Amino acid sequence: MSLELVFQQALNGLSFGALLFILASGLSLVFGMMDVVNLAHGAFYMLGAYVALSVVQVTGSFWIAMLAAPLALALVGLVVEPLLLRRLRGRHLDQVLLTIGVSLVIVDLIGQLWGREVRSLSAPPGLDGSVGLIGGVYPVYRLFVIAFGVVLAAAMAVVYRRTRIGMLIRAGVEDAEMLGALGIDTNRLFASTFATGAALAGLAGVIAAPVFGVQPGMDTDPGLLYSLVVVVVGGLGTLSGAVAGSLLIGPADTFGKVLFQDVALAVIFAIVALVLLLKPTGLLGRIRIAR
Amino acid sequence: MRPLARWALVAVAAVALVTFPYWSAQWESTRFATTLLRDALILAIFALSLDLLVGRAGMPSLGHAAFFGAGGYAAGIASQRLGTDQLPVTLGAAAVVAALLALVIGVLVVRSEGIFFLMLTLALAQIVFAIAFQWTAVTGGSNGLSGVGRPMLATLDFSSPDLMYVLVSITFVAAALLVWGLARSPYGRALIGVRENERRMRALGYDTTRLRLSAFVVAGTIAGIAGALSAYSTRFVSAQDAGLGNSVRAFVTVLVGGAGTLAGPIAGSALVSFIERVVPSLLPVELRISEAILGLVFIAFVLFARQGMVGVGRSAWLRVRTR
Amino acid sequence: MIEIRELRRAFGGVVALDGVSLTVAEGERRAVIGPNGAGKTTLINLLAGEIAPIGGAVRLAGRDVTRLRSWQRARLGLAHVYQRTELFSPLSARDNVALAVAARRGPYRVFRAPPRSEYADADAMLGRVGLAGREDVVVRALSHGERRQLELAVALAQSPRLLLLDEPTAGMSPVETARITELVAGLDRALTIVIVEHDMDVVFRLADRITVLHEGRVIAEGTAAEVRGDVRVHDVYLGKALTVA
Repeated sequence: MSLELVFQQALNGLSFGALLFILASGLSLVFGMMDVVNLAHGAFYMLGAYVALSVVQVTGSFWIAMLAAPLALALVGLVVEPLLLRRLRGRHLDQVLLTIGVSLVIVDLIGQLWGREVRSLSAPPGLDGSVGLIGGVYPVYRLFVIAFGVVLAAAMAVVYRRTRIGMLIRAGVEDAEMLGALGIDTNRLFASTFATGAALAGLAGVIAAPVFGVQPGMDTDPGLLYSLVVVVVGGLGTLSGAVAGSLLIGPADTFGKVLFQDVALAVIFAIVALVLLLKPTGLLGRIRIAR
Repeated sequence: MRPLARWALVAVAAVALVTFPYWSAQWESTRFATTLLRDALILAIFALSLDLLVGRAGMPSLGHAAFFGAGGYAAGIASQRLGTDQLPVTLGAAAVVAALLALVIGVLVVRSEGIFFLMLTLALAQIVFAIAFQWTAVTGGSNGLSGVGRPMLATLDFSSPDLMYVLVSITFVAAALLVWGLARSPYGRALIGVRENERRMRALGYDTTRLRLSAFVVAGTIAGIAGALSAYSTRFVSAQDAGLGNSVRAFVTVLVGGAGTLAGPIAGSALVSFIERVVPSLLPVELRISEAILGLVFIAFVLFARQGMVGVGRSAWLRVRTR
Repeated sequence: MIEIRELRRAFGGVVALDGVSLTVAEGERRAVIGPNGAGKTTLINLLAGEIAPIGGAVRLAGRDVTRLRSWQRARLGLAHVYQRTELFSPLSARDNVALAVAARRGPYRVFRAPPRSEYADADAMLGRVGLAGREDVVVRALSHGERRQLELAVALAQSPRLLLLDEPTAGMSPVETARITELVAGLDRALTIVIVEHDMDVVFRLADRITVLHEGRVIAEGTAAEVRGDVRVHDVYLGKALTVA
């Protein structure tokens, strides 16, 4: 493999990793705070992409879509949490099962409303060109994705560590019931956390669309499959876990596909297996196993 | 009801079930009911195997379709590569491959519990699906594996619709008997113990990790056989057979039917098959939302009838009796 | 029967056991007492194999079991009654005991219903602990005292050589306490028993020897009379500063 190819694939791996981070951070956040693995996360990701499709069709602007889709998903989250999840407060396994039902409904309705063909979304003008890099050309959009991911991670880290909301989140991740005892409105906290997780998934859907397309099945591949793998490997419930997982899985998957093509996912399987055998809580995670 | 009478009733029901295509031929010439029942029975076998894990051992697996798919592929590939269509070989291959896959995955997941276990089984099964989807050379990739051989037993060809149904229904009866036998044995009781209080079981001297692993492998093997039957029925295996959708389907079936019972997965497969196959013909053609309906039904059960149809039935029966 | 040497265990930064050594002879009845937080339950859990020590060794019947897990030690003849009731809630009392009876034969018996002898043995055991007539009752429907009796039945059904009892009379009325105490007192003398207790009446009724723990260390050990007269024990229970003799 030539050096240019390696470098290009490394960039591909990093852009995929950045995308995975945006996607997985929402899943990790919801789990950390609410002890719920939102299995509708992939469906939210998918919905974000399809909403972006329509928004771009109507307004012609990718940037508006990038704002609208997360907002739409936040609304969905604000409906789902109080309406459904809150009724099962304390029954974590049942809440997870509930999200499965939600996922079934959303994915099927997407197919009904938008059709089941493969669609695509172009990168916005300005980011749709290529740039010369180390002997070859590289799509600008993918560099944008990397930059966006880094900025988002940094922003989340700042919020997490230095703001009151971040403090609430950290406390909630530690012990959400305690917060209730301290007089914090946990209903609002949980609803907004879930909405934020949904919004992040939707955001990931928009940003991923120019690279991975918009089609049926995207809720599981790459959606749910990769976000789960990232958090399992990196560790659930922590920001650094999501970062670590994405940085590992993104490049691993990319290089795996280049080197092994058909059985590339066996590489991912091997990584997951290795982590499970050696450090079952994930590289940087603190799992609390809820029933 | 005395045990002998009960067994007689079961035998009669089983015979009626297996011979369905023959006595229904007058009013059922299109074979729609036979095909529907055949597929529902395959789902029932699949769900019964999952219930061993979910309902008895308390292991909520969302990756069970990996074994279903593996069984289907193994049966199909065995008939193509080994050049024989004999049932013992192809079905045996399905069972062996599914069991091995269950062993490999089982070893990785069996030490975890609850939600984490659910996530791991989901993720690992998804990886299996993705491999099936991409490994075109072996599995046909996204096109699937077509031309699955006809199941033969000596010179008897089971591929006609009626005989295929007979094969499936006999396997169903056998699987139901197997699961029933396991459930009431010391093994089944030990699985319940592991589910209810693993710590205590270990204090009693049970190697709970090995118990869970054995349940995982047994359940996976039966699922593999169901997958093989599906392959024989449609002469086709697609990667979706191993996908999350299929795992969810089985889980939904178990839950809405009633986990931890023999009748639950069976009732559940009836309901799910109805929603998936009959309801679409009741709706306008452009409205293809049977999965969404299934999702809504599932949500309703999780919220209001967690013990499933059988559980609800039992509570109602108890309330009537103590009136 | 039991030999513990320099057993150490910490949780996070908190040292629960700081070099505990003790020896219990076969057939002896040893009580472990001490104020809250002394490390009594940690000691029991270490003996049972539920947690691993960070230092030291445990020997049961002459065999080094430090590395063995709880289920392996159970197979060597160890039975453990927990501080908090740990039963199989949706099962009947009989089924709870039957699981213990069946443990010896191993669970991989499929295709046949459990033999009637298991249930007969279970019922017999339930009778011994005073739960005759309650065999079919589901655990959820049993009173607290009855559940503790059931706990004892389950443990005894394992035919153990060593019985660990962690506060068996906690939360019981005087009548129930007396019943359990007499039950334990009447057990086979070949059975080695280690009992953690707060109720001193129970301790003095049952124990041959007493070990006193304080802040993770053994501060006194001896017969009931010796311990009763020990100044350090008095100090510890009355909260005075511990003078190191």
